[in-house]
Amino acid sequence: MAVKAVEDLKERLAGIVGETSVNDDRNDLLQYARPDGDGHLPTCVVRPVNPEQVTALVVLANETGLNLVPVSSGPPHARGGTAPESGAVMVDLSAMDRIVRMDRRNKVAIVEPGVTFGRLASEASKVGLKALMPLLPRQRKSVLASYLEREPIIIPKYHWDATDPLLCMEVVFGTGDMFRTGSAAGPGSLEQQWEHGEAQKNPMGPGQTDFGRLVQGAQGTMGIVTWGSVKLEVMPSEHRIYFVNDSLERLIEFAYPVLRRKMADEFLILDGTAFATTMRGGAAEIGDLAGRIPGYVLVLGISGYEYFPGERVTYLVNDMADLAKEAGVALTRSAAGVDHLEAERALSGPSGEPYYKHRMKGGSRDLFFLTTLDRVPAFTAAMESLAQEHGHPVGEIGTYIQPIQHGRTVHLEFDIYFDPGSAKDAARAGGLFSAAAKACQEMGGFFSRPYGPWADMAFEACPDTVDALLKVKRVLDPRGVMNRNKLCFKEA
Amino acid sequence: MKPEELQKLPPEVYKELEEVVGPENISEEPALLDGYAWQPTFNSSPDLWVPRCAAAVLPGSTEEVQAVVRICNKHNILYKAHSTGWGTFNAVKAGGIVLDMRRMNRIVEIDEKNMYAVVEPYVSGISLQAELLSRGLNCHMIGAGCGASLLASATSGVGDGWDGISMSYSPRNVLGVEWVLPDGELLQMGSLGSHGTWFSGDGPGPSLRGAMRGWCGAFGGLGVFTRVAVKIFNWPANGDHRSEGLMFDYLPPLPENLKVFMVVFRDRGSFAEGMYKIGEAEIGYIQCRNALGMILGGALPRFQRKLPGVPAMVEMLKSMQFCLTHIIAANSPRELAYQEKALRAIALDSEAFVLDMGQLPLGGLLFWGLVKDSLPPLIFRIGGQFSSVFGHDETWDSSILLNRVGQEIKQKWIDRDGMIDDLADNAWMFLQEDGMWTHCEELILYDPREEKHVRSVNNAIAEAMISAVEHCQGPGFMLLNPMVRRMLSPMMSHYNFWTKKLKKEFDPLGLSDDVAYCSEEDVEEADIDLENMTFDIPPEELARIFEERISVIPAPREMAQ
Ligand SMILES: Cc1cc2nc3c(=O)[nH]c(=O)nc-3n(C[C@H](O)[C@H](O)[C@H](O)COP(=O)(O)OP(=O)(O)OC[C@H]3O[C@@H](n4cnc5c(N)ncnc54)[C@H](O)[C@@H]3O)c2cc1C
Repeated sequence: MAVKAVEDLKERLAGIVGETSVNDDRNDLLQYARPDGDGHLPTCVVRPVNPEQVTALVVLANETGLNLVPVSSGPPHARGGTAPESGAVMVDLSAMDRIVRMDRRNKVAIVEPGVTFGRLASEASKVGLKALMPLLPRQRKSVLASYLEREPIIIPKYHWDATDPLLCMEVVFGTGDMFRTGSAAGPGSLEQQWEHGEAQKNPMGPGQTDFGRLVQGAQGTMGIVTWGSVKLEVMPSEHRIYFVNDSLERLIEFAYPVLRRKMADEFLILDGTAFATTMRGGAAEIGDLAGRIPGYVLVLGISGYEYFPGERVTYLVNDMADLAKEAGVALTRSAAGVDHLEAERALSGPSGEPYYKHRMKGGSRDLFFLTTLDRVPAFTAAMESLAQEHGHPVGEIGTYIQPIQHGRTVHLEFDIYFDPGSAKDAARAGGLFSAAAKACQEMGGFFSRPYGPWADMAFEACPDTVDALLKVKRVLDPRGVMNRNKLCFKEA
Repeated sequence: MKPEELQKLPPEVYKELEEVVGPENISEEPALLDGYAWQPTFNSSPDLWVPRCAAAVLPGSTEEVQAVVRICNKHNILYKAHSTGWGTFNAVKAGGIVLDMRRMNRIVEIDEKNMYAVVEPYVSGISLQAELLSRGLNCHMIGAGCGASLLASATSGVGDGWDGISMSYSPRNVLGVEWVLPDGELLQMGSLGSHGTWFSGDGPGPSLRGAMRGWCGAFGGLGVFTRVAVKIFNWPANGDHRSEGLMFDYLPPLPENLKVFMVVFRDRGSFAEGMYKIGEAEIGYIQCRNALGMILGGALPRFQRKLPGVPAMVEMLKSMQFCLTHIIAANSPRELAYQEKALRAIALDSEAFVLDMGQLPLGGLLFWGLVKDSLPPLIFRIGGQFSSVFGHDETWDSSILLNRVGQEIKQKWIDRDGMIDDLADNAWMFLQEDGMWTHCEELILYDPREEKHVRSVNNAIAEAMISAVEHCQGPGFMLLNPMVRRMLSPMMSHYNFWTKKLKKEFDPLGLSDDVAYCSEEDVEEADIDLENMTFDIPPEELARIFEERISVIPAPREMAQ
């Protein structure tokens, strides 16, 4: 963009958010670019502080044809969902960071986009509630951004549907119009609804359309969310972590009945490498621990609540032990020297520094998609042989299997670790990453959250879905001002 | 039947349709079409009929559905799908055709491990459940009864049922969907479209489940759904559950580790507290508060009609007004012991008492009635008809509020002989997803042969709607009415403005009948007898409240221009 044009633009933006909240310093802008260094640098970044400013920005974009890219989490931005595909104004929402409401009775909070998991968890715990977290989120990961992207949480029994744990939202559509989804839509303002005992709990609707679902998973292409209500759960009075360390096949056999009966809280399966990176800090310790773990580790939590917590835990442990026996596996309180208390600590908050995926080699290319538990072994076998083909050590791939929707589906993730300081290592990881994505897609892996290069691959497989999504886009963002060229919304 | 309702299809259109489905699967015989037009339920018209459709077409496959819809597009014919056909929602406007989906009745797949089943439109709850129980699985059924189509409530209707505490409500249980769009194109949603697998309905990218339906569905206004994968759930009982006899005349045993209780709370306050605790303890399988007036009326309708004449009996029953039916389903004797102990402790703390219904002769009947969802049709025994107001899904506290308000509104109409006396409080309410949110609707029982009742029902519905606005509650089923949509949409983020836009994108010719979906009508047309309203808010105060509710979210800019 020409210098004059940039200055004009900055002035108009400053008229909305104030001069100090507009920035085009290159160093500041670099944090929003694609992690691999490819792609575009945004023109500038604006930092609105309230929904009115957000609305005015979208209205301005409609008038001038700007490309707005909303971003809520702090850096680093690993997947490129918020990296602009063409010249853009980043709408950085991290300054909107209020926890608008914390409601113990109805187990719900309303959070703005800048609220991180660490803050939500700590505020929730003060009233006896817990935040529902993905596996070790980054310190600066926005709760809303994570939930909007349908990132899996580690407690599948609380994951009833794909939208969970996100409930209602306030959103400024790409048209510049404000909207509230679910029961937050009205009648009544938030305050009036609270007075009448409501708490923005029902995500569906309003009426005959589920607007929240059209905004979720959209990578900011439909509008900008200014707050969301999120489910919280009761902090258990008693909580124990157990491990089951065995072959993947046996773990799967054990997992099915446990998931079906909703017996466990935390429930995730990690291979040795992923287990080590989540539980240990330094590369040497990780290597050592990973080397001592045969097969996979299932980490599961068992809880007791207000009524007879100890008795609840006891019956669940006994019933689970029976199921373990049938599957030929054993529940233990430590795995390869990792004690249940260590795991408890590790899983209870965001990742420590360095971020767990960077602990082994400094960088990671994350490949993930949806499948079912019984299909997982075919994918892990394929990944192993692809790694060998590409000369990438299998031990430097972390495999994470996260059942969601009560176990009906799993999020399967391969984190390909590499040394960002070594061009060769990075290129090798990149090559494996691309080849594996293609192979997994061909094997039926469902890229429901298609970031960056996966988008073309995922949407080519479903032209009917693309047609329908374009119809939705024409309604909610007819001028294409939101995160242009993302997903299947390519400029002609 | 009015003359304009007797429209016939042009012969060439009939012929085209006949070529698609075969002559035995299409009809314009008046006697046959009247089978579709006799729709008394949720019909406030005194003659209990809906317009006769121009023809009924019975497609046997997705391809046939596509072909039929394309013919409708070519000739500008209105159409609507009809699965199992409870209520007026499936009625197409005059001159339109009904796609009767009864030939598409297959259970396509049951994935036991990954807990979903793929069904066609005419698979009822009970037919899938019959396949599932012996596999240790079960399915969510709506409170309309076990004969209702699973697909209809998952894709197009509402979807609340008394297993909500453990099996949620229909729209939350949808995975892959096969959908013939209003223009006849096929959309396979989620993993189905990408890989032919049914395990996920969301993505890639934004979930089109959001366009398909919201709190409720399009009720036939957005094309035709031909297959859906619905979630299925744990059923912890072993063995064969067959038993002899008919409803109210059999004594089936309860399976091991499953129990049914009545929990009677002291008052509304103790009911409110106790239910929050039950939700947090995660100890329910099927659960709901069926009002006593409803239970009595369903089982002993004549007795119930005489009840108002016995005030002492009424008082006694009212003291048990907050009565919960609660099934626990355990996977082991240990779990059963824990759950029962927790339930009893919660009852004690909430000033409630617990009756183990399994110890009483009727326990098995009640238990299986709830599990098999066979009791709902009993509602028609009382007066012949019913209607439902509010129908909202939010916190338990707000359900409790609706329960009180609904009772107050109804009592006034009962006092004027405007509806059947069901002790006034006939709120159907329960927890969803272990209490994450809850459902409450107030049922109105009436006799369509009584003119006074028929005249009162619309008024009571209108009062409930105003009350919902006043109390900031969702209007529930009332949103299926075009007038209510016009009035309430501006108070609900102008949602219908956006829904109408989506409709236009997906159905540019507007042929998938949208009367229960997004069309709007002027409120002046309403059949409401303003003179006779019992509502006691002064008109200026009401106007102020409405204004205030409308001002919360500004009108879309395009509307304002
Ligand atoms: C006694 C009674 C109790 C009820 N209780 C409840 C309750 O507890 N909970 C609840 O949620 N509802 C309840 N209902 C209402 C309920 O929403 C509908 O009755 C139910 O969903 C209808 O399903 P159906 O197949 O029987 O009806 P249908 O009339 O076949 O279908 C219902 C609607 O969906 C559309 N539709 C059906 N099939 C398709 C298709 N294949 N493609 C596109 N559109 C389609 C129809 O056009 C119609 O508008 C009750 C109704 C009755 C009569």
